[in-house]
Amino acid sequence: MTPEPFFMLATLLFSLGLIGLVSRRNLFVVYLSIELMLSAVNLVLVTFSRLEGNMGGSAMVLLLLAVVAAEAAVFLAIIIQLVRGRRSIDSDDFSQLRQTKESR
Amino acid sequence: MVLWSRQTVLSGFGFLIAMLAMAGIFALLGNSFLFLAQIMIVVGAVVVLSLIVITTINMKEENLPDEPRKFTWMLLSAVLVAPFSVLMYRTLVYLHHSFAETKEGYGSLKAMGGELFGRWVLPFEIVSVLLLAAMLAAIVIARKESKQ
Repeated sequence: MTPEPFFMLATLLFSLGLIGLVSRRNLFVVYLSIELMLSAVNLVLVTFSRLEGNMGGSAMVLLLLAVVAAEAAVFLAIIIQLVRGRRSIDSDDFSQLRQTKESR
Repeated sequence: MVLWSRQTVLSGFGFLIAMLAMAGIFALLGNSFLFLAQIMIVVGAVVVLSLIVITTINMKEENLPDEPRKFTWMLLSAVLVAPFSVLMYRTLVYLHHSFAETKEGYGSLKAMGGELFGRWVLPFEIVSVLLLAAMLAAIVIARKESKQ
């Protein structure tokens, strides 16, 4: 079994996630793009663990799944809080931390 | 589908399909335990939580961010990302040529448990603390402001 298709798929997933991360303004889509990139990393780890015949990579993927779950909980809580305050999921509306001309 | 649908719920369903396909790929790689873990954790918990939040917030069509030149932006960023993905693909293929071939007896539950509770005990415990912290943080952030 050749691993190149899996590498190709992981690269594609990561690139799609990156594209969505930089080009969309809907906060949910940004979040889902981050998840896509994380799962691309998972795919690469599993593929290499398979190639090596070593279960260490798979154990790492399991721990990464837990990290993904934690990230989902915190990110969604933040989204809920932002929506409650501003009634918007546009990332351009949340620019309080941006460096303006006066503060520079 | 995750990226370019206008409605957020459609993005969520696209994400669900992508994660199910990811579980199938794990099964294809002969890793039955991760297949189950992916179904249970990511599909069962993360995707369902996202969909629930998307539907609970219930954004109106006119409240969604207005992105008139979305496809232009996506095309532009795709052009910018393309050299990076080519580089990543070449690196992965090059890395795999420097490894040895695989052994038999891979992917069983026994091997997984032995690995997880042998060499990976400390990260395993750290992850439990991390999950607890994330749960607390989610509750604290999403809680309504208490009356002073």
